Amino acid sequence: MDFTLICQHLSKIIIGCLMKYIFAFISLLFSLCITAAEQAEEIFAQLTPSLYQIKLIDKASGEKSSIGSGFQITSDGLIATNYHVISSYARHPSKYRMEYLDHQGNTNTLTLESVDVINDLALVKREVTEPMEFFVISSETPHKGEKLFSLGNPHDLGMIVVPGTYNGLKKESFSDRIHFTGSINSGMSGGPVVNKQAKVVGINVATSGNQIGFLVPHDKLVTLFNSYQQSPPDSIKAQMARQLTTSQDELMSALLNSNWESKSLGGKGAIPIIDVPFIRCWGESNADKQDALILTAVANCSLDENTYISSRFFTGSVEIEFRYMQAKELGGNKFYHLYRQQIARAGAGNRAGKDDVSEYQCHHDIVMPNNKAINNKSVFCTRAYKDFPDLYDVLYLGASIDKQQQALVSHFTISGVSQENSMAFTEKFMEAVSWK
Amino acid sequence: MEITSINPQQESLSSEELHHDLDNINQGHTDIIIEEISRGQKLLHRHKMSKPSINIGRGYGNDIILADPHICSEHVKIQLVNGFWQIQDQESINGTFLENPKEKKKPADKHILEDGDIISIGKSQLRIHFVDHPVAETVKFSPFESFINLMRHPIALLISVALFTLVSGTIFYLDKPIEVNFSQLLVPAIGMSLLFSLWPAGIALVSHLTKHDARVLTQLGICFAFFNLMWFSDLLENIVAFNSSSNSVFTVLIAILPIALAFCMLWLNCYIGFHMTAKRRMVVSIGITALLFGGSYLIKYSNKPDFNARPQYNSVLMTPSFLLTPSASVDEFIEDSNKLFDKANKAAVKD
Repeated sequence: MDFTLICQHLSKIIIGCLMKYIFAFISLLFSLCITAAEQAEEIFAQLTPSLYQIKLIDKASGEKSSIGSGFQITSDGLIATNYHVISSYARHPSKYRMEYLDHQGNTNTLTLESVDVINDLALVKREVTEPMEFFVISSETPHKGEKLFSLGNPHDLGMIVVPGTYNGLKKESFSDRIHFTGSINSGMSGGPVVNKQAKVVGINVATSGNQIGFLVPHDKLVTLFNSYQQSPPDSIKAQMARQLTTSQDELMSALLNSNWESKSLGGKGAIPIIDVPFIRCWGESNADKQDALILTAVANCSLDENTYISSRFFTGSVEIEFRYMQAKELGGNKFYHLYRQQIARAGAGNRAGKDDVSEYQCHHDIVMPNNKAINNKSVFCTRAYKDFPDLYDVLYLGASIDKQQQALVSHFTISGVSQENSMAFTEKFMEAVSWK
Repeated sequence: MEITSINPQQESLSSEELHHDLDNINQGHTDIIIEEISRGQKLLHRHKMSKPSINIGRGYGNDIILADPHICSEHVKIQLVNGFWQIQDQESINGTFLENPKEKKKPADKHILEDGDIISIGKSQLRIHFVDHPVAETVKFSPFESFINLMRHPIALLISVALFTLVSGTIFYLDKPIEVNFSQLLVPAIGMSLLFSLWPAGIALVSHLTKHDARVLTQLGICFAFFNLMWFSDLLENIVAFNSSSNSVFTVLIAILPIALAFCMLWLNCYIGFHMTAKRRMVVSIGITALLFGGSYLIKYSNKPDFNARPQYNSVLMTPSFLLTPSASVDEFIEDSNKLFDKANKAAVKD
């Protein structure tokens, strides 16, 4: 046989085989896509009757003031949603009316049954005439990379389903949050996130844009539901107060019992950095600015999350700031004059209004810690919560006054904390800041 | 001609006194003091006449010549008739009237003049006095006189103004967060001094307008001396605020100092610029002080928001050399701070 012929024959066979494989591969991909789409479609069709849009209607104007999503979790009409969706109603029940809108366009009123303000969950109830279908809550947590489906009504556009991926729990967070890769938009808050078996594994709660979404893990809902089954709360306000008190106790004991690592700031100051993953620190200085009169180095540490109580009232925040300043070719008098302007306008770390808190009460004195390594002008301010007894916002400011041309400012704000915890923290904090 | 002339009020006196008084009356009636006064009863001119007949009018032939265009050339005559001074209107166009604060003014023709009578002719007013009219008691020099004299001395004044300018320049320098050169400070400092000299200049102008001595230098000297004292009280206030803790009462006491200084300055302004009774001077200076501080307090109070989300705390810092008090311990601070929670609870319940 001619050698060239053999070669031609062989190449034909090889190409033929390759073509076959490629075709098989493409068709496989194609079929996979179909199954994903089919799954989403199937899940959506199956679950729609138990999905609701939750609306708060302003009684005076008769128009809706906020919207969110919710899903039924029992046959007798108990619906789970986010606390922040119904927060206005929880705070001012006489001003609003709560309503649901189901997939057939039926509307009726809802009653508020129980809330978990820390995990941003709420249970509301509709009237049912006969047992209805409901969402089953999953008993196990998803594994990383698992495909999940988020359901909700974004921007009042109608119920949609968004596929996405489970990416574990957010690490730098005190209260657990699932990191979900998929677009969650406003209005979807309170909607369920289900796995392929159509079981609820989380609740839509927040987004930080670009496909990064956050979910409340399903076990928080299970806990809330179980305690509701055992004994429904007699007053939502008292329930919230209990939850806030318990949560600040947990947070503050975590902070107080962690390792406070002494670090150097600007080479001269010794400052405490609390070694817990949910307190994150950032730094900044003006060392590059040649014409600055004062060299400044700032370290900021804060808790990334806070607790939503109403759109104008947040709590549960922790902020710590250290500032080292050194005069460059500047007299002591002018340095202290500018230094004074720096510390004159410390403010609250959280948003709160007249209806929520009292005005700040302040005390100041010249204070030296036990190690005698610094002399501070110290200011402590506190304001009390009006609706939640024995919770306060506190603010501390310490300004060193023992060096002619150097200064160390130590400052923190904590919101929604008890007197005992805040004073324990203040004492530990004041003793931990000094000159090296 | 004079013996029969008895004042109506003096008729009731006993004969011995009458005899004694007759001399006075006699003398009083030959001399008459006619004062030109403004509508606000301020003295413009004073004439002492020793003639039995005085002509008043716009014409140059008169004894008292008035420039008021509403007065006739020969308007009124005041004549001694039987020991009484009598007004005789010279058939003037606009007439002669007797001013009486209690009643409506009435025509003064043929009126017998009494001490203190005010007659109006045209738009001018004349006040009549006789020589026995009592005068107010002599005002003693106040103990401040030597201080006032020292402060109005040009060298003292120059030093005060220079000191004031220097201090305001220093404050501008301290407040600027960036580097500044000398001329950048000089302009606002001089501007500040000029601005502050408006007050004494204004008072001098007012006293000049009210026919008092202007005494510009004295007013300037006193004001700048007090402005400098105010800087000093400001410094003192800062030192106290820096050294005191919240528990201290000193801060309240020291806050009174600028008010006292302002009162003293205003009192001296009145003393230098205007002739007024001690009581009136007191009332005026207390009034202006109250207006100044009360007004600024009211403005501050009216601008105060219903709710302040920001803490209001003492943020006064000074260099270590101004630190005079010993430091508290952290425990003491915590103990004091603990008391705030009760206050906060009360504030939360109150509103």
